[in-house]
Parts: sequence; structure tokens; C-alpha cells
Amino acid sequence: MAAIVRLSSVFRRGVKPLFYQGTLLARPLVVPHNYQEQPHQLTARIHASQALNAGSGSKAASLHWTGERVVSILLLALGPAAYFSPCPAVDYSLAAALTLHGHWGIGQVLTDYVHGDAKIKMTNAGLFLLSTVTFAGLCYFNYNDVGLCKAIALLWSK
Amino acid sequence: MSAACLSSLSRCGVLSFRSPAGQVAVRYAQTAAAPVAESRIKKFQIYRWDPDTPGDKPRMQTYDIDLNTCGPMSLDALIKIKNEMDPTLTFRRSCREGICGSCAMNINGGNTLACLNKIDTNTSKPSKIYPLPHMYVVKDLVPDMSNFYAQYKSIEPYLKKKDETNEGKEQYLQTVEDREKLDGLYECILCACCSTSCPSYWWNGDKYLGPAVLMQAYRWMIDSRDEFTEERLAKLQDPFSLYRCHTIMNCTKTCPKGLNPGKAIAEIKKMMATYKEKKAVAV
Repeated sequence: MAAIVRLSSVFRRGVKPLFYQGTLLARPLVVPHNYQEQPHQLTARIHASQALNAGSGSKAASLHWTGERVVSILLLALGPAAYFSPCPAVDYSLAAALTLHGHWGIGQVLTDYVHGDAKIKMTNAGLFLLSTVTFAGLCYFNYNDVGLCKAIALLWSK
Repeated sequence: MSAACLSSLSRCGVLSFRSPAGQVAVRYAQTAAAPVAESRIKKFQIYRWDPDTPGDKPRMQTYDIDLNTCGPMSLDALIKIKNEMDPTLTFRRSCREGICGSCAMNINGGNTLACLNKIDTNTSKPSKIYPLPHMYVVKDLVPDMSNFYAQYKSIEPYLKKKDETNEGKEQYLQTVEDREKLDGLYECILCACCSTSCPSYWWNGDKYLGPAVLMQAYRWMIDSRDEFTEERLAKLQDPFSLYRCHTIMNCTKTCPKGLNPGKAIAEIKKMMATYKEKKAVAV
């Protein structure tokens, strides 16, 4: 009887998190009906994502991580290089490294906070556009103006 | 012994042998007249929510406790409230000495074990106690740990051998140095304080494994007796399982056992960058 009262109170509110609790709590009162209807709902969802991930077999994720570290270190090295020997090669390297660093960095933030397939696709497209425009703009500046190294040096000269 | 002590005290006309100075004063009570203990009322604000009451909304309930008649730890206060004031207060506890991990909760803004957390004796400020953050709440201070345990299960936290024919015949021996590598890892009691303090785990708790589980994954990766290191690493090859860690280090800061899950995750990232893929595929 108590089980029925409890179940009905859970269902009446129809709140999803509550529903999960009802199925996962191994309270003897609830187990007979509810447990069989929705066995391991939350758990099943987790295992699904695990299985998907486990089957990938590529090193894409760790290569991406290594790439991020390499670009970060390159960027650190490019600082002194830009100061001591400003030249077009350093200008274009800076443009590329800065863009890539920003692209991956913002990408991590988006992966953290943007949920839902459609939204992820939209933000990724937006990010790609932003990075492309950034890189193109920096290259344009390098080609038609003084270049990144000198432009930053000019900030101090005036 | 205690009866003798009490009778001697009553002969001196002392009403109570408890005082603000606590235990030390008890000893002095034998020789000097102890001052009458003034009560130290401490407010405890505790998160309450009861799913069995239809329409009940989460709320903070305040309890007044005299610290002179309460044990030193937050768990003592909770047990005192449940025993003497409000039997409906619900929380998990078992060992009361920081080895079972049951009483993990958020006390004054930090995840910790109630049994290892000393009550702040500043009575002007209330102590606030919440369940572990960003977990589904079952009732009051009891969180739903199903997701956490399922994730722990997914890393296969046990010794795995390629050749199992020798299983049970003799011990798998380990050098002293290899055993030392497991120190600081095996002590984890899976209280989930670290995982639930991690913002990455808050936002992506369904796909990111979290510091507690990853540290145990690392514990089995570096076990000299385990032969599935590469496979264990390969299982983390996706943007979420491992790489949602951004070295925020809340995990290490909050760990009530003084462990360092942040470092373990960093070590996994290093191993991920260097392990040989072929070895993993060959088997």
C-alpha cells in the first residue's frame, strides 16, 4: 500500500530526475513494480556512451592533446623570436599559431558547455568561421601592413 | 571510575563538569571548582527535501545545538540532531572514522566527510550542510550515487591478466618499488567528494569519468601485475572520458583523505600521449 502511495506521488509530479531515483533506489517497497519496468535506465545510458567510445580504436583524442601542448610551447618560443628577429616568417607563424591555439582553446570551452547535437554543430560551424576570418585577417595584415611583430612593437614606441 | 568522579564532583557542589575549555577542564575539576558551563549554542542550517511529501520543495532547516553536549565532529552534530531533535533528518553514515566514505557531504562550502570535519566553534556563524553538489538528491543529505558507481564499474577496477591459466595457483608477486607506486592511490574510499567538486564533472558528469574514477583507472594502469595497461588507456580515447579535465584541482583540494587525483589524471594524460597503439591492437 505504501509502495503504491509512494509510486503515485512520484508519477504525479512526473519530474524526470525523480523518476530515475525511483528506478535506481533499491528500496524494497519500490522494487517489485518499478524496477522491472525500467531496469537500469540511467546506468544503461552511461554504458551506451562508454561502449561507443571504447570502439573508436584511434589515438585522435590523445593526439589532439599532444598537438595542443606543442602549439602552446611553439607560441611561447615565438614570443622571443618576434622580439629579437621580426620578419615575415615569424609574422605568419604567429598568425597560424595564435589562430590554432585560440581555435582549440575555444573548442574546449564549447565542448564543456554546449550540449545537444544541433547546438554543437552550430557552434562548431561558428567557431570554424571565426577562426578562418581571424587567420585570413592576420595574413591580410601581414601582407598589406607592417606585420604582427612590428605592429606589437609599435604599441611601445608611441 | 566515572561514577567515583561524578560523586566527588557532586560533593564539591559542582553542577556540571562540562565547560568551554572541554576535556582539560574536566581534569582540573578534580582540584579546582569548575565554572558553571555556559552553553555554546551553534546553529546548523541543513538542506532538507523529502520526495515522499507531494509538492515538498527543498529548504534549509535550522537546528540549535549546544556544543558542550555534542561531540567535536559535524557527524556528531548530525547524529545528535537525528537522535534528540528530528528523527526525520536523513543522511548516510557508517564507520564514523573516515574509512567508509558514506558521510560525504558539502559542509560550509566544501565537500568533505562529516566524520572528519571538526565543527567550527565560532558560534556567531551558522554551519551550512548540503548534500554533495550537482548530484540527484534522494532525500535530505543523501545523493544518488548510481552514475558514479556505474562509471567506476566501467573502468574494470580489478587485476586483468592475458593468460588466466595460472589464476589462483600462486601469488602474483610485486617488487617493493612497484608496490610503492600504488601508495596515494589505493587509499581512495570512493566517497565522491572530489568528483562532485569538479566543475567539469558538474557539466559533463554523464560522459566525463571524474577524478575519483580516473585515479582508480590510473591505479590499475600502473599496477605491475596488470597486463591490460594499453587497453585501459585506449578506452579513454575520446574527448570526454578523460580530456574534460582542465586541471582545476578542486579534486586535490577537497580530498578528505589527502590524496591527489589531479596528479593521477595528469599522469594518465602523459601515458596517453606515449603508449604504443600496436600493442593494444595486437591482443
